Amino acid sequence: MFKPLDPLLHSELRLAVMSLLIGAESAEFPYIKEQTGATAGNLSVQLDKLATAGYITVEKTFKGKRPCTLCSITPVGLKAFEEYVETLREYLNPSQ
Amino acid sequence: MEENMNLTAERSLEIIRNSIERSQRAIAKNSGLPLMWWGICVMVFALIIEYLWKNHGGPAWNFLWFVMWVVGYIGNRVIDKKNETVPTTFVGKTIGHVWSTFGIFCGGIGLILGLIAGGVIPVKCIVPDTYINCLVYMNITSIISLCFGIASTIMGLVLQNRPIQVCGLVAGFGGFFAALYYPMHQMYVMAVVALIGLVIPGLIVHFQSKK
Repeated sequence: MFKPLDPLLHSELRLAVMSLLIGAESAEFPYIKEQTGATAGNLSVQLDKLATAGYITVEKTFKGKRPCTLCSITPVGLKAFEEYVETLREYLNPSQ
Repeated sequence: MEENMNLTAERSLEIIRNSIERSQRAIAKNSGLPLMWWGICVMVFALIIEYLWKNHGGPAWNFLWFVMWVVGYIGNRVIDKKNETVPTTFVGKTIGHVWSTFGIFCGGIGLILGLIAGGVIPVKCIVPDTYINCLVYMNITSIISLCFGIASTIMGLVLQNRPIQVCGLVAGFGGFFAALYYPMHQMYVMAVVALIGLVIPGLIVHFQSKK
């Protein structure tokens, strides 16, 4: 019997965001937008969902005089991502 | 990238792999230009100092190394501003720290030896009295080349890049034997060390990140 995949991570955009943040201490909103190719509105909505679940933190700050939105993964998000990848492995290699 | 909940396991893994690879490429791309810039600075200043040393005076022209730090720093700031914004990562920070440490130590060694040569610091601070008559000679090009090699090799290990590791070893150990040359001509050694230890690794990082 397979474990169900985390529905919050099982979405193209949210999964891409989490994958970008996994190796980074923090990443700025424009960088995530550019790397994922998402629209600003859609990305904001998905970031909110991840932040509400406690998977990421979204910090509004300033870079010089310009506003800057910094996203970083939380320990809860890291654990959820690890479990998601582990479940994917089970789907791909059911014998193991 | 649109909202799509009907992902296959293969597609999910593909998204994860692509995102991580893209992120790594972007981070590596930003490391390439500063390496090339500093390498070119060292090469140009080494050749200028060699020329001036030979034709217009003596080793006093070595003070131009401190001018190089200023020029290099200003250029580095310009490159940083022009570079695309990338996330802060452990790899990026480690590379930055390795080269900053290298810069601090090389600048420090240069300053200390310069002050000793100028008589500000007594020689006995680095050579004990017992050995003062033993013609102990500290070759700064060898020490700095070794530092270059250590920094380049560590960077190659952090980036898991074999050619950069080889460049570091060649620059470090090759330059260590700089004492075989007359001090003035060691500037050529320094230029070659900078080419192998900085410019070539910078080119490797830059072009690999563009693939």
